[in-house]
Amino acid sequence: MSQTHDPTPPPLLHPLLVGSGAGLLIAAFATDVIYCQTLLFQWNNFSIWLLMAGLILAALAGLALLLDVALGRIEAMAWGRFAGFTAAALLALLNAFVHSRDAYTAVAPEGVELSAVVAVILLVLGWRGWSLRSVRHSQSSQPGTARS
Amino acid sequence: MSLISVRTSCALAALLTLGACGEKVADPSTQYGAHPELPAPHNYLVPPMAVPQATGWGKDQTPVVPAGLQVRALATGFEHPRIVYALPNGDVLVVETNGPKAPVYRPKDYVEGKVKARAGSAAHGGNRITLLRDANGDGVPELRTVFIDHLNSPFGVVLVGSDLYVAATNELLRFPYTPGETHITAPGVHVTDLPAGAINHHWTKSLTASPDGSKLYVGVGSNSNITENGIAVEADRAAIWEVDRATGLKRPFAEGLRNPTGVAFEPQTGKLWAIVNERDEIGPNLVPDYLTSVKDGAFYGWPYSYWGKHVDIRVKPQRPDLVAKAIAPDYALSSHVAPLGMAFSQGTSLPAAYRSGVFIGEHGSWDRSPLNGYKVVYVPFQNGRPSGPPQDVVTGFVTPDGKATKGRPVGVTLDHTGALLIADDVGNVVWRVTSTGAAGRPAAP
Repeated sequence: MSQTHDPTPPPLLHPLLVGSGAGLLIAAFATDVIYCQTLLFQWNNFSIWLLMAGLILAALAGLALLLDVALGRIEAMAWGRFAGFTAAALLALLNAFVHSRDAYTAVAPEGVELSAVVAVILLVLGWRGWSLRSVRHSQSSQPGTARS
Repeated sequence: MSLISVRTSCALAALLTLGACGEKVADPSTQYGAHPELPAPHNYLVPPMAVPQATGWGKDQTPVVPAGLQVRALATGFEHPRIVYALPNGDVLVVETNGPKAPVYRPKDYVEGKVKARAGSAAHGGNRITLLRDANGDGVPELRTVFIDHLNSPFGVVLVGSDLYVAATNELLRFPYTPGETHITAPGVHVTDLPAGAINHHWTKSLTASPDGSKLYVGVGSNSNITENGIAVEADRAAIWEVDRATGLKRPFAEGLRNPTGVAFEPQTGKLWAIVNERDEIGPNLVPDYLTSVKDGAFYGWPYSYWGKHVDIRVKPQRPDLVAKAIAPDYALSSHVAPLGMAFSQGTSLPAAYRSGVFIGEHGSWDRSPLNGYKVVYVPFQNGRPSGPPQDVVTGFVTPDGKATKGRPVGVTLDHTGALLIADDVGNVVWRVTSTGAAGRPAAP
């Protein structure tokens, strides 16, 4: 392919949306923890708005990813990371229903537990950036960096 | 929200084993009286609900009454009528009202707004009181006037002597009244403030007067389902207030009553009774709405506990000291019937079976599946206490499949002929129930 000799991969649409959505979902864990510490209801409300906004960005990220694939900007998908981000989004969706309860049980115990799991998944995946393009593929396709 | 999406959410909930859709719901009759069966509370992803579409009444359609009774529309074309009140000269006041616009603090508030619109609860309220005059008692008013206009979400009304009290959502007002008057232009005199504010979740303020006329009693609902707006906004709420007529000074008469939508004095014993709407979202059979005598200084549990000392774990921090004080109410009406109006039946011209008890308008709720309420019931009394299960008096407000409501009953009262009047805030009708063949004749004085 002609891109094989291009040192910079084409720009991607989805990583910004994945990263921003992840940031909001991680923040929801923080507000859940603060609610559990303070029992001030407004932190409970912050959490559900953060979850909702995070889920909207996650949906937009999914669309952007489809567009990146359609535009041929992703030669190979990092399927493991894809599965991780998808699992985080589904757990956050479940958590939005938990957070629609009234008062304490909107957060404790299931809500903050789900927030924690989602935050850990996103932080682990996000450590290596927010792209779902396979790094191994693009590295191996560049001359001089060939690995098995 | 459509029934389909509710079912889909339920399916998701069931799939994740956190929900309990399709669970067997015990019959409401297991929750009548002093010792209702109380299942274990449940936390849902989507609480069980059913939202019938508000359709209104077709031409010549009426609610259904048992043999020996008949029902006709006294008047139609109201703007969300909620309370009916009979003046001593026979004139009937119809309070047309709805709550102020609810703020959206959470995504759920937005969804609930849509649900309410479908169920007919978001309709514009007239914010006025209309007077109907049916002097010959034939069930056809000769006169209809706007009695008091431009009120702020009024609800309770009571006449003491020549003072007409109206409980607006934010204040208790006093208007001068002379018998036969059909329109009051004098501005209301402020008697005392009532809790309102930006949230004003349960906005209705029910009202009655003591038999000697010296005290007024105001039912003030909570500012949330179960403290999801914080405990600070619950100050002075979920209580029945006693207001001294002479001075306007007030004190909490009883507390922990989540939403006391009706207050009335039992005529035989002269004791105060109330109907109360209990909390939602912990199960189709929790918590029973109730009818209770109201003890001076008593605490009935909300928000910390229900039906006595059953702790509600949704409330944090808890108050074990208050739970220890909480007493159980007298008589469960079963869960999510939403009693919104009550009238003791002494003096009714309905058959003898209805002459010693209380009529209760059960508005019905979407917070339960299958539906419950959506009818007017009669609770018989003996020696000033309930003496049997509630009996259906007026039904047919909801279609048999539960998918649509033609009307929803709210306030009830007896008119000067002893007929039962019912405000219907979805049908926008005031219904009049009489004994069969008795409609054209006023009761003997």
